Amino acid sequence: MEQAKTVRQDGETKRGVLAHLEGLEAQMKRFCKSSEELQRAQAKESTPGNKIRELRHLRDKLRAEVKKRQARGDGSRASSANVESDPTVEMGEQEVLEKKQESIKAILQAYRFTGLSGKLTSRGVCVCISTAFEGNLLDSYFVDLVIQKPLRIHHHSIPVFIPLEKIAAKYLQTDIQHFLFSLCESLNAYSGRKYQADQLQNDFAAFLTGPLQRNSLCNLLSFTYKVDLMGQYSFCARLLYEDLTATLPTDITVTYQGTEALSASWEEQRASHEALFRTKPLHRVFASFAREEELDLSLAS
Amino acid sequence: MLTGFSITGYSKKTEDLTSTEMKEEGIKKVLQRHRLSGNCNIVTFQLEFQILETQNKENLSSVITDLGIIMEPTEYSELSDFVSRAEERRDLFMFFRGLHFFVKWCEYRKRTFKHFKDKYPDMVHLPEGACSHCMVICSASRPGFELVIVWRIQINEEGKVLPKLDLLTKIPQRALKLDKNRVIENAPLSFRTLLGVLGIEAAVESLIVLCKDE
Repeated sequence: MEQAKTVRQDGETKRGVLAHLEGLEAQMKRFCKSSEELQRAQAKESTPGNKIRELRHLRDKLRAEVKKRQARGDGSRASSANVESDPTVEMGEQEVLEKKQESIKAILQAYRFTGLSGKLTSRGVCVCISTAFEGNLLDSYFVDLVIQKPLRIHHHSIPVFIPLEKIAAKYLQTDIQHFLFSLCESLNAYSGRKYQADQLQNDFAAFLTGPLQRNSLCNLLSFTYKVDLMGQYSFCARLLYEDLTATLPTDITVTYQGTEALSASWEEQRASHEALFRTKPLHRVFASFAREEELDLSLAS
Repeated sequence: MLTGFSITGYSKKTEDLTSTEMKEEGIKKVLQRHRLSGNCNIVTFQLEFQILETQNKENLSSVITDLGIIMEPTEYSELSDFVSRAEERRDLFMFFRGLHFFVKWCEYRKRTFKHFKDKYPDMVHLPEGACSHCMVICSASRPGFELVIVWRIQINEEGKVLPKLDLLTKIPQRALKLDKNRVIENAPLSFRTLLGVLGIEAAVESLIVLCKDE
């Protein structure tokens, strides 16, 4: 390391010192490099050793696990809870999944109780609209929608006199929920009116003195009836349901079918009938007539 | 969900009520007990209802024989009358239809009031917060003057949901005395007419603009 101190000019001395420093630097670099290499080599050497150790550890673990399961398979009752849990946990998971599936199926079925339920189809969705009146479950209708731009109705079971096109034009493209609920309203109202008219025809035919005239939409009804089965007076009623989302009429006229003038009490009755038809469902009005009739008969006897 | 309803729980029990006499006549009677729970937006419902199915030779009839409804939140007073009516009539579908439209109108009311609050923050106040059913319009330059728009959402006998908007005015006595043309007196009625002509948003906007400082 001791370079000869040459008796030279300063530059040469400097050069000499610099050269010395450079030499030291180079040595250090070589030393570092070699030590790194040594470390790497050492690391490389130790990895297979480590791996072997790891593999041995894993093998021992697996052996222990196998022993455990064999012990369980023997039916021996181990004291620790863990031992029993594994197979039961597996079965439990299966049961839980099955139960979940059942409950989801049930929930999907339950949507029909909201009045609107849908099923996915290859083209889009088929919506089922259920109708009811006063707790009586009535007809269901469906609308098959194709999910395209624009949304369109593939086919449906909506009666022709329900304003489907009008409702679709208004809402189908912009607000599908509104479209469905609007349709729901119209169909339920129609179902309700139809139910009332059917009930009148079937259950209270005795009160009618002529056929019940009705249109397919069941929003215009005309009939003649007697309140008093023994009596002579019969009234003619005309009910118009202008609001197609309603089950009660908007326009009621009850007139007397006869040539003589009506007595005051009968006039009162006529007016009260108009009020009754406006506020109560048709068949309920006649049910009340029937009750009164029974009462009168029981009083008379 | 397509309908806006989310059903979170459902269970059903079936009971066979067919007597031996009925069996002889070919009639079958089954009682189903259903339990349903779910929500529509922030409103949650729990329903219990019974359906009696009677099958005879000609047809099958299904009748809801009992309906019980529990709703949360209960602050919507307009809803509680409607719920009682639905229970009385055992009209399950009317309940869901009415609920749907009611919630939709509530959302619209909330959005509309928020829109005006955001647009005119100094003039518009919602005394009950975001779900307020009324909106107060006032102007800084005319203290003492207030226009209150009351927006109720009603459900009628048939289960139809209808918005009902009214205008209330708060005017200082001195101003009232100067009102020879009785504009203030007629304001509520005029507002109703305005609603019919312009619709809700435009009518409310026009009132706010009226109170705005130039």
